Amino acid sequence: MNRPKPSRSDPMHRYPRWPLHVMLVAISFAMLLPFYWVLKTSLTGENIFVYPPSILPHHAQPFYYVDVWYFIPFARFLLNSVIVSVLAIVANVVFNAMAAFALSKSFPGRGWIITLLLSCMMIPFQTTIVPAYLITGKLGLLNSYLGLALPTFSTIVCIFVYKASFDAIPRSLIDAARIDGLSELRILMRIMLPLSTSAIATNVILAFIWSWNNFLWPLIVVRDQAMQTLPLGLSRFLSDHENTTGALYAFCIMVLAPGIALFLMAQKQFIRGLTSGATKG
Amino acid sequence: MTGRMRRILLNRFVVAPVVVAAVVLVWNAYVASHADGIVTGHVVDRFGRPVADATVRMMEQNFTTNSQRGTTRTDANGAFRFQENRSHRIQLRAEKPGAGRSNQQAVRLYFRSQHVDLTEPLVLDGGAK
Repeated sequence: MNRPKPSRSDPMHRYPRWPLHVMLVAISFAMLLPFYWVLKTSLTGENIFVYPPSILPHHAQPFYYVDVWYFIPFARFLLNSVIVSVLAIVANVVFNAMAAFALSKSFPGRGWIITLLLSCMMIPFQTTIVPAYLITGKLGLLNSYLGLALPTFSTIVCIFVYKASFDAIPRSLIDAARIDGLSELRILMRIMLPLSTSAIATNVILAFIWSWNNFLWPLIVVRDQAMQTLPLGLSRFLSDHENTTGALYAFCIMVLAPGIALFLMAQKQFIRGLTSGATKG
Repeated sequence: MTGRMRRILLNRFVVAPVVVAAVVLVWNAYVASHADGIVTGHVVDRFGRPVADATVRMMEQNFTTNSQRGTTRTDANGAFRFQENRSHRIQLRAEKPGAGRSNQQAVRLYFRSQHVDLTEPLVLDGGAK
């Protein structure tokens, strides 16, 4: 396909782009440096205060990962984190999509509900943690997977991600589906969600990351060691074992890896999901 | 394979977990076939000659503790063998009255009970200290 030659009068092509790229590469390196440092230390066990610091790893070996795997119940923590994250993701997709579908319709008081939801975003979770704990306790869900995942079942940000995506779908398509006899739930399942894959990807990634990294709520809800998730395990590892730099950093990499892998796999949909709804129709 | 099936099966959300699962499966099969807990090696004196009847101690190392897990004696060729190692991080030390003792040699393994044949011998210092 022949591309039209960029015109000099076009502001996007008036200046050379390489300085921008050089700057972006430099910023990327700066942002990746801490991750590289964690990875390097997890392989070498070097003390981070060594001067001068060595940029390249010397005598890299994987044994700190082996230590983490065997000296703490890592597999159990991993399983707990996976179960809680899967619960959170499934509930998020279902509840957020349903809430957003309702908010994409016109009904009396819709503006008030949207305002209420937006204002609730400003309330930090720490302030509602006591009632959340009491409710979870009354439901008999303390120290359970369901109780661990419960506060992350729906997130307001993701409701609005879905809403933006649903608003971008032409009304005529929904009207046609309604004329064909589809119920509201089937319109959501068969029309809205298949056309909102980017919003789903965004929700999946955000729900996963929030649930995976959640520390405070599991700290309060969990009572048995067997129910601890990875962030709690990391904290326990820090308090139990001192002077284990290499193993600690290996643990960090093992906690970070699934989230990074998921983001790398779905980054295109994630970014598209965050920007969908910027243009309507 | 239809285009739809191909698209479903060959996307990164399927391929990446399948590759990870395959690696885990192969690794576990390898571990299962090599986790017999046998540790073998040699004890030599400072001239490189095999030392018979030396006592070799195996210690299991943790982040904070170091506890003895077994002792054995070398044969006429200076060879020793432990059969029931259950750790992935051990230390070995050899000694013999009159011939001295070796340094404590740390042995890191890739998994618990890994079969390992040590290439570096434990060297007795000749009772210099």
